[in-house]
Amino acid sequence: MKIGLEIHVQLPTKSKMFCSCPTTDAPAPNTHVCPTCLGMPGSRPVLNRKVLEYGIMLAKMLGCKVADTTWFSRKTYFYPDMSKSVQITQYDNPIGEGGVYYLNGKKPIRITRIHVEEDPGKTKRVGDLSSLIDYNRSGIPLAEIVTEPDISTPAEAREFLGQLIEDIRHVIALPGDGERSIRCDCNISVGKERCEVKNVTGLKNVERALTFEMIRQTKILKAGGKIDRETRRFDEERGVTISVRKKEFEADYGYIDEPDLGIYHLKEMADAIKIKESPQKMALRLAHEYGIDQKAAKQLVTTSVGLAETFEAVAKELGVQNAVKWVSGPVSAGWKAMEARGGSPDDVVPIIRRFVAGEITDTECALEIKCAMTGESAESVKGASGDLDKIIGEFLDQNPAIIADYAKNEKAANKAIGFVMKQSGGRFSSAEVVEAVRKDIESRM
Amino acid sequence: MTMRSILSGLKETNAKYRMFHAMTEDSDPGDAKFLFSAKDNLTSADMETCSGSKILVGYRPPFDAESIAKMRAAGGKLIGKCNMDEFGFGTFSTNSGLEIPRNPYDLERACGGSSGGSACAAAVFEGHVSLGVSTGGSICCPASFCGVYGIAPTYGRVSRYGLIDYGNSLDKIGVISADAKDLRKYTHIIAGKDAKDPTSCAQPEFKDTGRKLKSVAIPKEGVEGLSKDVEKAFFEAVERLRSMGVDVESIDMPSLKYAMPAYYVLATSEASTNLARYVGMRYGQQEGDHSLKFDDYFSYFRSKYFGDEAKRRILLGTYTRMAGFRDRYYAKALKVRQVVIKDYKRAFETHDAVLAPTMPFSAPRFDDISGMSALDSYKADYLTVPANIAGTPHISVPCGYGSDGMPIGMQFVADHWDEEVLFDAAEEWEKGFEMRKPEVGA
Repeated sequence: MKIGLEIHVQLPTKSKMFCSCPTTDAPAPNTHVCPTCLGMPGSRPVLNRKVLEYGIMLAKMLGCKVADTTWFSRKTYFYPDMSKSVQITQYDNPIGEGGVYYLNGKKPIRITRIHVEEDPGKTKRVGDLSSLIDYNRSGIPLAEIVTEPDISTPAEAREFLGQLIEDIRHVIALPGDGERSIRCDCNISVGKERCEVKNVTGLKNVERALTFEMIRQTKILKAGGKIDRETRRFDEERGVTISVRKKEFEADYGYIDEPDLGIYHLKEMADAIKIKESPQKMALRLAHEYGIDQKAAKQLVTTSVGLAETFEAVAKELGVQNAVKWVSGPVSAGWKAMEARGGSPDDVVPIIRRFVAGEITDTECALEIKCAMTGESAESVKGASGDLDKIIGEFLDQNPAIIADYAKNEKAANKAIGFVMKQSGGRFSSAEVVEAVRKDIESRM
Repeated sequence: MTMRSILSGLKETNAKYRMFHAMTEDSDPGDAKFLFSAKDNLTSADMETCSGSKILVGYRPPFDAESIAKMRAAGGKLIGKCNMDEFGFGTFSTNSGLEIPRNPYDLERACGGSSGGSACAAAVFEGHVSLGVSTGGSICCPASFCGVYGIAPTYGRVSRYGLIDYGNSLDKIGVISADAKDLRKYTHIIAGKDAKDPTSCAQPEFKDTGRKLKSVAIPKEGVEGLSKDVEKAFFEAVERLRSMGVDVESIDMPSLKYAMPAYYVLATSEASTNLARYVGMRYGQQEGDHSLKFDDYFSYFRSKYFGDEAKRRILLGTYTRMAGFRDRYYAKALKVRQVVIKDYKRAFETHDAVLAPTMPFSAPRFDDISGMSALDSYKADYLTVPANIAGTPHISVPCGYGSDGMPIGMQFVADHWDEEVLFDAAEEWEKGFEMRKPEVGA
């Protein structure tokens, strides 16, 4: 089975790709529009430079060769939400070509190309006979990433997309989900001929659509049938794909160069752009450089790249052991609380430094880190953790079997964790409870 | 004619010549410094803009074209929007979905195209200047047929913001007037970088070197297939140029004969994408059965409101960019453009300008035009097309009159961004040229 994806990502520019309309959520349909994104006669596109910058960043992230010169093309097709009946996209000389992305740091997924283009408006069906068009989305910049058919299963497609999106979010500072979710065209072939499932939204649906297609194609082939090359769409509610058109009715988009925009020489711009290390690459590097296991490294990065950076800072200065002990421990446990109150992790390194210098004890260090993370006073933390320790202690006193079970399987602690979470009514984060329970159990072993 | 008398007689004059599709109701020029008109493919916020097409009837653009805005800012009053071939698709302004302008020298004859209404207005109204647009010769052709001066500046000299596109890589906005001096004056007003049209932002300043036209090259390919009247008037004009001290040399420019097919491929390829937006949904005409599927409605609407020539160019242009044909036609035409530019550059190494008649014949009668095939009229553009595909500035000046009294023009082509040598040439030529004004009366 071969799966290839075409992934559309909305780029986080402030204004649209070819006009100055805002890209923020609009108060009402057709309010963030102007003659250009409505395609009024005589209007003209003016390229938003930021789009090229984001395109170059993504091309670099994907290991693509950034084109020295790039330009735009017109893709012509008739659809009511495409205001000019022409989409400005890239055909020849896209912004990047020939990259590779390593899934889980191992399996290469080749990237055919990445180009930038404008989004059309949105069609909203109202009843059977009519639709309404909202052009607020018209002209919002997109990057389209095209992979080679190197993905082997629907689950792998989902995993790949998940990692890719996490990296993209970090590298180009993409805001959270919502309107800017990822849209995907999925190509899948079980036998020789492939089908394309257009415009699938979200990771879960990509896996569902591909799984349905995999089963559908397998059934046809097993029954001795033949797969028709065709375009299909995914019905999210019913979880099925439906044929839209056969290959012989595929559109011929009649690409020509976009004459209103020039040729862009990217070399200087590309040389000047340095991209941030992507989370996946960072996790791999941390595991490799500091000899921690991949899961632990991934856990750090997934919690926050900032946490991983703190880990690295401590590891460099005070050794990996202290980084694992303190950053993967109490710093990690308090990270979300620190983020929620808008705090910074800057204070924890001096605390660990003092521990390493022997100025404070193990317990004091843990307490101070917790205070630095949550912003609470030492007294209240002490009091609270006293409470926590008390609840755990009493529970373990009554259930000594847990200690014995824990020696065989660490999951035995879950019983205690669940009880304490419930008992404390959410006063403690799950990370805190887990740590405290383990500590207590281990002290009794 | 004062500005006031022009305005008060506007309707009557227009009834005779039909130069305007829409025009001002004002009879008072107010504090206007001059009156001007503009081809109807330039958007105007205060007048309906149709680009000669039924499909845009009723369209009131939300903004002024940059060139119109600049004319207004300089004190100009827009009095009318000039009739034209639909979207610029023609040589005689007869391919119009609206009105067809009449030649001021003979009402039975065409004004040329596609800026026919603009040239007509420039010839009829005294002290008038009109904005035209040239894609393949649409300024020089009507200027020559109507006996006036016309300039198509270098591609990218004048902002195309607000120009209803025909072929975006070819379209140029220019000036038509009966007074050679107006060409320099008003081109300077409408030219300049405009952030709203990126293709205008690469231009250098006008180089006013005071350099006079010293030598011209006449391509052998440019004096073939001329009518007797044009041939006679043109070579007499060449003699006059010589007597003015201009060196004249005959040269070979073999690429000129490839310019025309390449032009029609590029122009129609681009046009067919530009016209895709007219589907009766967002502006202009909107009528029909809304319960149809959208593509059936689009087909119904486009079949009904586009004229035959628009349909022909959409089909041609769609064909030339189809998968499998794109390389053979569209991609090849892009290469031919570079060859033509090279040929011009070579000529400009030794000459200030390239000269030829503007059109191979003078303004034809309407009944002759109706007998011409599409190919016949495409071929009539062979003298104006090369400079247009090269994007080089060119100017048409009246150079004589035929045995039937119809005006004849010749066209100077200069190097990119070198409009000044053309303005100088036109002004020098104008001195002592016996201009025969048409007899104008309402």
